Amino acid sequence: MANERKLGLFSAIIMGLSGAIGFEIFVLLNYAYFDLAGPSMISALFFCGIINLITMLSYSELSAAIPEVGGEYTYTKVAFGGIISFMAGCLRWLASVFGGALAAIVFVNQLGVLFSVFDLPIQLVLVNASLLIVGLVVILIFLSVRGVNEATTLIVGAFLAIFVIFLAMSLGYTLAPQNIVPEASGNSIVVFFAATAYLFPMFVGMRALVAGAPQIKNPGKNVPRALMITTVLLTVVYFAVAFVAVGVVPVTTPITAESPPLLNLAAKEIMGPIGAILFALAGMFASVSSVGTAMSVQSSILGGMSRDGYLPNVLLKAHKRFGTRYVAIIASSLFVIFFGTSGAVVFLGYAASFGSLLVFALVNLSLIQLRRKMPRLDRPFKAPLYPLTPLAGIVMSVLLLTFPVILRDVNAESALLSSLGMVAIVLVTYYLRMVKREVDFNRLRVAVGGISFGAGVTLIVLTPVIAPPSLSIIMVLVGLVSIVAGILNILVSTRKID
Amino acid sequence: MKIRRILPAIIGIAQGVIGVLFGVLAIMLVLNLIEVQTVFNVPPELLSLYLLILGLFSVFSVISGLFLMREGWK
Repeated sequence: MANERKLGLFSAIIMGLSGAIGFEIFVLLNYAYFDLAGPSMISALFFCGIINLITMLSYSELSAAIPEVGGEYTYTKVAFGGIISFMAGCLRWLASVFGGALAAIVFVNQLGVLFSVFDLPIQLVLVNASLLIVGLVVILIFLSVRGVNEATTLIVGAFLAIFVIFLAMSLGYTLAPQNIVPEASGNSIVVFFAATAYLFPMFVGMRALVAGAPQIKNPGKNVPRALMITTVLLTVVYFAVAFVAVGVVPVTTPITAESPPLLNLAAKEIMGPIGAILFALAGMFASVSSVGTAMSVQSSILGGMSRDGYLPNVLLKAHKRFGTRYVAIIASSLFVIFFGTSGAVVFLGYAASFGSLLVFALVNLSLIQLRRKMPRLDRPFKAPLYPLTPLAGIVMSVLLLTFPVILRDVNAESALLSSLGMVAIVLVTYYLRMVKREVDFNRLRVAVGGISFGAGVTLIVLTPVIAPPSLSIIMVLVGLVSIVAGILNILVSTRKID
Repeated sequence: MKIRRILPAIIGIAQGVIGVLFGVLAIMLVLNLIEVQTVFNVPPELLSLYLLILGLFSVFSVISGLFLMREGWK
């Protein structure tokens, strides 16, 4: 069935904004400001906007040339097919799971803030946080299976209105945040880039616009324009809100586990108790909406990959009455519950960011591959300064992945290692599902050998960063054994396949 | 010809043992035997992630080691 194109430029911009403006601003600013970069977090946000803009140029070209459902998964499938598209789909799904789990945690946090405004016992929320998260996700599973759509346009409108009121009321204050540009020392630069990586999920939601490209009129013109306008608008709004928040809440403010997030503190300072209530409610609505959207995105990705034969068909199973893919929704939700109840906010922030950055790198690679593979493809929009633009996108993504690890941020290290572990599972799953029976065993050995080799290299590279000196030699030896084992498995099995 | 069998067997055994040891370490972390969480400075909120990483490494090492051992003894 062909999709009806009925949305214009304005609707496309709203689609991008509603995808991006959400719960992230309530949670990510905190760690970036109080623990990482201090006031230079504002510049980090600006830098996020620039990096996002560069990759959005690639998205614009690809979405205009291939205006079909599936977004990143489709682009990588057309460009590379096979394992790369499978990996892009899985990483996108993972980023969505981590984002959904983070949103569930934010919901509980904001509920706690609301309790504190009304002097209700906040401990009641903190003690039952896991139970509340499970309850929220179960309710949303029910709503997602029933196919209830969230009023995202209303939410984005309400959000923008609240931000405008917040900014307008801040005009009465003398705001002069100091040190918003990072110092030119090595550590400051590393911390600045780590904050940029951590804040990155605040922007990536605007990919919703790409996913909705099949509904947009004249996509060749409207999608690129909407992507550019949305990026600029987002950068300006985030920059202004963060500037005000940093201006009224000093970085030296004592913060405990029960303290409200930076934005709530700033809202209370500028708008009084009304501001605290408004922002807490906005945070709750945004997180509920984000968990719902994440579930819908996850079921759509899993469904698409099942349709292409990468995952079991059971994930395509639709509800008899509501027609929604309830097995995929429930399967994804279990992961959201698992990570959400862990309460590891900083880890989840990094993990969501890393998943998205890897997908961004794959999208930029797809652009380069398609320019070489299909030079005559009709491209209503072309990324300017090719190949510098996609190359810059790839380099930036990889750099942002590495800086938090250089900083020895334990959350970033765990997030990166978990992402690599997930990539390993992806590889095995792919080979188990896709190889022909007669060479199954040897191909599986090649895959396991590849994982072993990769794990060994990763272990050796990360040893100076993560291991105490007393364990360094053991770690390097373990890494070397893994590398040799990987090479042997690959060599022997490849010979047998040939 | 002998080296082609001996090398995979030795590396396979080494990797299998490493995999088992990582698995044991994961179990020790769960049960916090001999205060291992403190020894390795594992924050409680990240325990499940450490387990995930150790578990993955352990499983893949054992599988890879078994493949190589099979090659050596064939």
